[in-house]
Amino acid sequence: MDMLQTSLDGLMIGSTYALLGLSFALVFGIMRRINLAFGACLLFGASLAIYLEPILGWGAWGLFLITIVGVALASAYVERLCFAPHSKRHGALTAMVASFAVWMQLDEISSQLLPQRTHAFQGLEVPNFWWGEIFVRGDQLLHFAIALVSILLLYLLLYKTRLGLLIRATADSPETAHLLGAQVPWLGFIIFLLAGILGGVAAFMILSADGYVTPLFGLWSTFKGLVAMIIGGVGSLMGAVLGGLILGLVETHAGAALGAEFRDMVTFGLVFLVLIIRPGGLMGVKIYRTDSLARDRV
Amino acid sequence: MYSLQGIGKSFGGIDVLTDICLTLRPGQRLGITGANGVGKSTLINIATGFLTPDSGHIHLNKKILTYRPAWAFAHAGIQRTFQTTRFLTTANLGEQLLFAARAPESKIRLTQLIRLSGLQASLHLFPDEIPLPVLRKAEVIRGLVVSPEVLFLDEPSAGLTVDELDQFGAFLQQQLGQKTALVVVEHRLDFMAIITDSIVEMKLNRGLVKRVVDVKT
Amino acid sequence: MDIYLASVLTNMTLIAFLALSAYLVLVVGEVSFGQQAFFGIGAYITASVTALAGAHIFWGLLAGAIGGAVCALLLGLLTIRLSGIYFAISTLCFAELLRFFLLHIRFTQNIDGRIIGPDGPEGFSNIRWIFENHYEVVDFLLLAATCLTILLILLFSLERSRIMLGARMVGNDPILAQSQGLSPTRYRLSFITLSGAVAGFGGGLFALFNTHIEPAMFGVMLGIHGLAYAIIGGLGSAMGPLLGVVLDIGLLESIRQLAAYRMIIFGGLVALLLVFRPEGIVSPRLVSRLKSRWRNRHV
Repeated sequence: MDMLQTSLDGLMIGSTYALLGLSFALVFGIMRRINLAFGACLLFGASLAIYLEPILGWGAWGLFLITIVGVALASAYVERLCFAPHSKRHGALTAMVASFAVWMQLDEISSQLLPQRTHAFQGLEVPNFWWGEIFVRGDQLLHFAIALVSILLLYLLLYKTRLGLLIRATADSPETAHLLGAQVPWLGFIIFLLAGILGGVAAFMILSADGYVTPLFGLWSTFKGLVAMIIGGVGSLMGAVLGGLILGLVETHAGAALGAEFRDMVTFGLVFLVLIIRPGGLMGVKIYRTDSLARDRV
Repeated sequence: MYSLQGIGKSFGGIDVLTDICLTLRPGQRLGITGANGVGKSTLINIATGFLTPDSGHIHLNKKILTYRPAWAFAHAGIQRTFQTTRFLTTANLGEQLLFAARAPESKIRLTQLIRLSGLQASLHLFPDEIPLPVLRKAEVIRGLVVSPEVLFLDEPSAGLTVDELDQFGAFLQQQLGQKTALVVVEHRLDFMAIITDSIVEMKLNRGLVKRVVDVKT
Repeated sequence: MDIYLASVLTNMTLIAFLALSAYLVLVVGEVSFGQQAFFGIGAYITASVTALAGAHIFWGLLAGAIGGAVCALLLGLLTIRLSGIYFAISTLCFAELLRFFLLHIRFTQNIDGRIIGPDGPEGFSNIRWIFENHYEVVDFLLLAATCLTILLILLFSLERSRIMLGARMVGNDPILAQSQGLSPTRYRLSFITLSGAVAGFGGGLFALFNTHIEPAMFGVMLGIHGLAYAIIGGLGSAMGPLLGVVLDIGLLESIRQLAAYRMIIFGGLVALLLVFRPEGIVSPRLVSRLKSRWRNRHV
């Protein structure tokens, strides 16, 4: 029963990681870029929400909305300043460093908005209940549902709309991506917005479940998202979801069995092993610079 | 003497090359032609070590090169040019040519080749400031300074006008030594006819490299 | 010299080692988020050799450099088939695993009434070499600057040799490099190992200067800063990372009134700078152009 409880908790947390991973997978899978400022955007959105809360007084749902809007705004800013100017193939590293600089920038803006080290983050008021011998937190169950809905909506967007078709075509072929990117300059912008919205949902879920936000949230969520993406297979959307769920499960079990400290190390160890043994992740994404001359380095 | 024996390669279940055999004598000038997609690039890549064959062997003067990495091929004396010329964008031409000429005799050859080809004026320029015909010549020179056993040219005519091609062909004929074997993978027969002694054609799924034209009488 | 100024300059010198070690990996075309771990290992080893074993700092620093090199070589061998983002993330994981290891090392001795030795998360205190040898801040600055200068001389002579051009070829176009007879794997391993040695040495100096080190000091952020200095400064020559360090620490220290907003300003400035100079300030092209102008003038 304990295992079941831990697993359930793990899946709940994992669903938030899945959204974080999806955000990274969207940006990397389609644009071959790593956005280091991602976590900072989340922190900014959350900070903005808390800052505006007393002014607007919209309660937890208000926090939810403003977090998403804040993260989306920050993502748009990052895309325009750090990624749009470096869209050529070799611009990946420069874009990443620029995103690091903006990470620092957004982190500091966030601490201006929230000067104290820890701030309370109000969650949605949902009753908890017992399901047999298993304790279910009502708000986490709601979050899980929201995550599922978000993933479903994303799926619908990608597979049932023309925009989605364009995005998927771009993801399939990096060469096409660059050609198309030139003709559709707003494609990157849209991707970042999507990633930002997903991230905002995830941020709200994580912070309201925890009940508080600290300045470390930015780095933490960046790392979780990257790890979820890698375990699942870099750039694969389905992989990111699975990777996030697995990360949640592994982490929660490790924490239950070995304690909080070892929990993080298990994560790092797991990722390291994945990279050395099966870098393509769960989905077996092809990563080696196969000796074909046309292949670019990832 | 350089030879490919029984070379086979398949990608994702599709057999691109089947039982390819090729033998080169020193100083031989061979052209390989064929339709698009027939496997010319794959063949060059395997012959120069950038791809590993699924079956077969590669020999150079009693050395077995089959599973060696591409840089080992280069060391052994197999040089090549690329379809899109490859140069560092951040160093000037002179530096890069000098880098290729490590041994003292290579440096002498380099000076000779530069003088004969009229590349002197471009040495201080960066590759993206240099017109394509000049770059192609430079790439050939880069391959020749080490006095290679075999030089492979990968679609050297791409992007050149008819006049530029004539000039390039003349340049090639002058600069190749007696020892170096030349393999030109091309689809422009007229150009190949100038610089090669014989031309073979690759045909899809037949695998074997068949004789089409014997140019030299 | 004003003690504050001397401290700032010393910090710059120490971070320069980290930035240069990131640079060495970037030259062969890879990004490493893990250099801070080699920095940290070097710090702990140098501290142990000087404070625990009582040896001369020459041996301490040498051991730190070797320790950094060995760890880096290990990482290089484990990740031999990886590149790009995969390599980058694996360096991050490796670094955090190393840091975890440092968090759990406990080996303290009571020497002259003081507790000396690594003590888990509390770190390693009482690295007293500078006190025992009466080194003022300025003295240490001189020591560190001398070491840095020697490293720069070594790197500059490397620049002028085939090795560096070969490394840049490996970094820019591995296929071209192979056609020139260069083994990308060997270059990568060599430069990664060298970067570990440089970081380890810098970490050793850091331990001596700070007199107290703990695992929390060697986290991801430190490494990413070093990386950023190298890229912003430019990868054209070893002067690039140095310039990056001077710009950040120097400029930022000088606008201390705006301390609260410094990252807001600086972060934005850096991103803007990269829009206009994506290859950093001392870019490889710039250096090549300058070099050929120099040669032409002296032909």
